[in-house]
Amino acid sequence: MVLIHDYLIEQINLNIIIAFTIALIGVLTYRSHLISTLLCLEGIILSLFILIVLLISHSHIAFISITPLILLVFSACEAGVGLALLVTISYTYGNDYVQNLNLLQC
Amino acid sequence: MNFTLNSMILLSIIMLVSPLLYNMLMPHKTTYFPTYCKNMIMMAFMTSLPPMIIFMLYGQESVITNWHWFSITTFNISMSFKLDFFSIIFIPIALYDAWSILEFSLWYMHSDIFIHKFFKYLVSFLLTMIILVSANNLFQLFIGWEGVGIMSFLLIGWWYGRTDANTAALQAIIYNRIGDIGFMLTMAWLMLNSNSWELQNIFSTNMDFIALLGLIIAATGKSAQFGLHPWLPSAMEGPTPVSALLHSSTMVVAGIFLLIRFHPMMENNQMILTTILCLGAMTTLFTAICAITQNDIKKIVAFSTSSQLGLMMVTVGLNQPHLAFLHICTHAFFKAMLFLCSGSIIHSLNDEQDIRKMGGLFLILPITSSALMTGSLALVGTPFLAGFYSKDSIIEAINTSYTNSWALMMTLIATSLTAIYSLRIIYYALLGNPRFSSISPINENNPNLINPIMRLAMGSIFAGFLVTMSIPPMTSITMTMPDMIKLSALLITLAGLAIGMELNSFTNKLMNSMKHTTNFSNMLGYFTYFTHRIYPLMNLYSGQRIATMLIDMNWYEKTGPKGQTNIHSSMSSLLTSTQKGLIKVYFMSFLISITLALMFASMSTNNF
Repeated sequence: MVLIHDYLIEQINLNIIIAFTIALIGVLTYRSHLISTLLCLEGIILSLFILIVLLISHSHIAFISITPLILLVFSACEAGVGLALLVTISYTYGNDYVQNLNLLQC
Repeated sequence: MNFTLNSMILLSIIMLVSPLLYNMLMPHKTTYFPTYCKNMIMMAFMTSLPPMIIFMLYGQESVITNWHWFSITTFNISMSFKLDFFSIIFIPIALYDAWSILEFSLWYMHSDIFIHKFFKYLVSFLLTMIILVSANNLFQLFIGWEGVGIMSFLLIGWWYGRTDANTAALQAIIYNRIGDIGFMLTMAWLMLNSNSWELQNIFSTNMDFIALLGLIIAATGKSAQFGLHPWLPSAMEGPTPVSALLHSSTMVVAGIFLLIRFHPMMENNQMILTTILCLGAMTTLFTAICAITQNDIKKIVAFSTSSQLGLMMVTVGLNQPHLAFLHICTHAFFKAMLFLCSGSIIHSLNDEQDIRKMGGLFLILPITSSALMTGSLALVGTPFLAGFYSKDSIIEAINTSYTNSWALMMTLIATSLTAIYSLRIIYYALLGNPRFSSISPINENNPNLINPIMRLAMGSIFAGFLVTMSIPPMTSITMTMPDMIKLSALLITLAGLAIGMELNSFTNKLMNSMKHTTNFSNMLGYFTYFTHRIYPLMNLYSGQRIATMLIDMNWYEKTGPKGQTNIHSSMSSLLTSTQKGLIKVYFMSFLISITLALMFASMSTNNF
């Protein structure tokens, strides 16, 4: 009997990696609002989460099953910090435009 | 013969316990109690004379071991008395002094309502002193040691309403305690290394330097050597009988007695002997210097005691313990008599202790003044009085032995200073015109005053001769020496007398030229002013610094909350000055760098 390689898992991986890359470009390029950065940051984390879960379920490595949960915990903290910064900025300036953050420009 | 010596000594000690039992069982019968105490001490003295005579005739010594007290695995302690050369001769002398002093206190403390308690304290002191002297093992010796310390505390603070008396008692306890640390060091060393506290076993051990150093520290504390000496002049706050019994004849010689007991161990250790010699020389000179400008008659005699203790220490350091013991015995007589005479003077002048307010007592108190002069002559070593046999032998021994010449010089100078301060007492208290108010009636009619002084005067004159001719010679003395060396003690004393007369006439002519030296001598070399401030001050400062500076400041302000604040704000102020905003530019450059890096990475692996 000949083993036929199934390339489905690699296509799924590629898919999620493309999602990661699109979210990364979204973090790094934005026009005026700061909140878009935070949204795309969540997208990065979501794609990383899916990748780790797929790795665990495809390779049957049961003992690192706790890793996605830890990732979620830290992402929640990180999102909290990001939102606190956003609230501070909009408290000071009234909106979250990026061009407001120019206090240190000479 | 065995029975006589052993049983009579034990009977003598039991006679000392009986007044204490009497007071414990019948505490309400106090009127006859002081005379009862005095009579019991006299009986105890009589009972202890036959053992001394037996020892002098037959040379018999004994060790009595009575009662096995306890044992800790292989370490046994029992109650045992060692009656050898030193204790058999010392016990009758101590009892003779105590008898005279107890009779004197019947006159001196007559108006005190707690006179029975005073006598109880004196008798219990005497009991612990005899325990100390006759102990065969270090545990019993320590019991006696601590006992005399406690009784000294209680008796110095007899007039406890006076702040100075309380301070002096506390000072005595603290300085004695520091000496006890040395004693415990020796006891611990002996327990570890020779597994016994019996003197016989110890005599066959080789004692290390550290163990003998512990004994020296103990002697420094108890016998008021330089370094731990301030308690002895302060102890004059107690009544005169206390000063006479404790701080001149018996308690303060306990330290020297300990060193004399351990002399077989120190014979071959030259370093220890040199330490003892230099310490004793320093003490004798320093305290003699302090004595020559004091104004309180009891303090002069106290410093005289301290100086003679230094001389005894010097003798032990010359490897002549038997000479030191002889000096202890003869010194007990004339020093106690000097204290009793000063007590007589003080009481007659209505409690006046300052010699600048005495004078002209020579014809008013004939017995006291003649006893005072006899005692002073014995103290300076007049030929063929009591002090001569011990003091002159010591000076001869130190002159003819191969020893430290600095110690020799110090001792000789101190000997001449002895003459100076003795003359000071006689000149200010007895000679000249009276400087006291003439209200108090001065007489010597009470036999309780006269008999003790006469008895001790007999002792001061004859005791030296009697004891020297009766004891067996233990060391070989140098019999031949040049004329000057032989007469050196006498010549130095005469020179001291001449200088003393000159110094005493300074007051009459108001010569103030020697201000600095007078202040140094009068204020005891500023020793107490330095040490009593510095040690508590250092301890309090270090306590405050540890609590406030070390703990509070470090944990709260350098590493804790405030420290974190400082670190973070300094770091952020450093970093923020380099940033300029421009977030979009930074993000764009990040994106371009990642893209380029990925392209280069994939191209170099040839998997494109």
